[in-house]
Amino acid sequence: MHADLIGFGAIVLVAGLLARAGRRVGLPSVPFFMLTGILLGPATPGPVLIEHPEDLALLAAIGLVLLLFNLGVEFPVRQVFGSGKRLFIAAGCSIGLNVGAGLALGFTLGWGTPEALVIAGALGISSSAIATKLLIELRRLANAETPIILGIIVIEDLFLAFYLALLSPILAGASSPGEIALHIGMSFGYLLLLVAVAKWGARAIGWLIGSHEDELLAIGMVGLVVLVAGLSAEVGVSDAIGALMIGLVVARTAVRERVERLVLPLRDVFAAVFFVGFGLSIDVGAFGSVAVPVAVAVAVTIVVNISAGLVTGSLFGFNQRGAANVGLTVLGRGEFSLILATLALGAGLDDRIGPFVALYVLVLAVLSPMFAAQSRYLARVIPDQFLRSRWRYVREETMSTACTHLGRIQITETDGDACRECLDAGADWVHLRMCLTCGAVGCCDDSPGRHATAHFDETGHPLIRSLEPREDWQYCYVDGALVREPIGPREPVES
Amino acid sequence: MGQGVHVQELPGIGKRYDIDLGHGGTRVSVVVRRDGTRDLYVFTSRSDEPTAVVELSEEQSRKVGAVLGGTFFA
Repeated sequence: MHADLIGFGAIVLVAGLLARAGRRVGLPSVPFFMLTGILLGPATPGPVLIEHPEDLALLAAIGLVLLLFNLGVEFPVRQVFGSGKRLFIAAGCSIGLNVGAGLALGFTLGWGTPEALVIAGALGISSSAIATKLLIELRRLANAETPIILGIIVIEDLFLAFYLALLSPILAGASSPGEIALHIGMSFGYLLLLVAVAKWGARAIGWLIGSHEDELLAIGMVGLVVLVAGLSAEVGVSDAIGALMIGLVVARTAVRERVERLVLPLRDVFAAVFFVGFGLSIDVGAFGSVAVPVAVAVAVTIVVNISAGLVTGSLFGFNQRGAANVGLTVLGRGEFSLILATLALGAGLDDRIGPFVALYVLVLAVLSPMFAAQSRYLARVIPDQFLRSRWRYVREETMSTACTHLGRIQITETDGDACRECLDAGADWVHLRMCLTCGAVGCCDDSPGRHATAHFDETGHPLIRSLEPREDWQYCYVDGALVREPIGPREPVES
Repeated sequence: MGQGVHVQELPGIGKRYDIDLGHGGTRVSVVVRRDGTRDLYVFTSRSDEPTAVVELSEEQSRKVGAVLGGTFFA
């Protein structure tokens, strides 16, 4: 026992120190935990701190469970489902392109169908932790595209749950189509059961674990989560889904905020053990044999995400800078890819998947912060046709406002001083507004005619500004928000 | 109150409040993260990049907020 404590303590400490050194230069932490496991594990020459990776198995499993539990607890259900259809279309495109490309690559490698499905997931789902930290560090929280990026990665998390449900029967070794269908049916049935618990049983769960003492709440929480995860694995649904779903249940109880706070440090420690544990199983020598597939996978990921960024950019009317930021912020791969690889290795699939995913995650860990930080160079080379060809874009300006329609401002000054429709009708008006797309002048909503709003209903031109003296505001009908002045110096609109 | 303040949800991070200060694109954005940290973005021109970004802990933002709110300290 004594020796085990020394090895475990040392490897966790080294992982923490290495990750801290990485953070200094802006690199994400998850790959460093994994790297520690690789370097100090039994499969790699050099010092070995943990001789038997299986000693860590229980702790690593708890790390995986808490990671997904936390994801479920923090899942912003209301924000995501309240954010409209366009976000789901954008996320759908992003996921479809990413997973589709991953699947194509997986089949091209020819390691087998289950392997291809795992690779599709590992390539397809970006790391929420890495993208979120990048946005904070690159000071982009005020950018127009940031809420969209965050929405997309949150929907990707949700997709992960369904993907796991789809994948677990295949990993469980079902072979005939009937067997697979049965397993998938069971998985989704179990998901539905947990959704029902979330809807009607949240109170009971809250009562079960909800002590007013933090100590007892933390203990009850860990016990419940690990138990549900274990039971899920027992009925053939993966423990990861069970943990995620019970997280969604707990999120509906009164103790949600306290659980969120209590689980964080636990998750951080045990998840680090999980990542280290994954690293322990990786043999550095195997990197050579997967180098070419990894290089292809990285290139595919970059190309696919830039395309997805362009789709999102044109959906939301971003300029080049916004579209480039969307594509290049979500390049990082981390926790989810490693979870899928772990499940694959646990199911006895082709063992090249381990080093493949490990190297892929490591390469993108270094590349993704660099690409995200330098997105303006990409913005310079995206032609207008790739976004919306009818619009005039200010390519490299950050769109730092909540409104996403500033690209449609074509004209900002007019010498019109009357609402023509009111004049024709012989009516009066209170205030005047001007359409920033075509320059039409109409009366405000306090006037009987409401011609400015009528103009928007007719043409879809989203932005107006006030023509009243001493008023300096603009309003976006689509976003329902006041917006600030147009970004940066604009080219004069002549032609 | 309320006019010129825009609230934006940032899924997974928290909420952003954009406060328009009127002249020449001057505005302040405050991001309240779920862990209590606040990011204060200050824009002093119409240009793209924030003039300053300050990360405040909960304790620090209480201090700044109290002074902004008109609390007097001896």
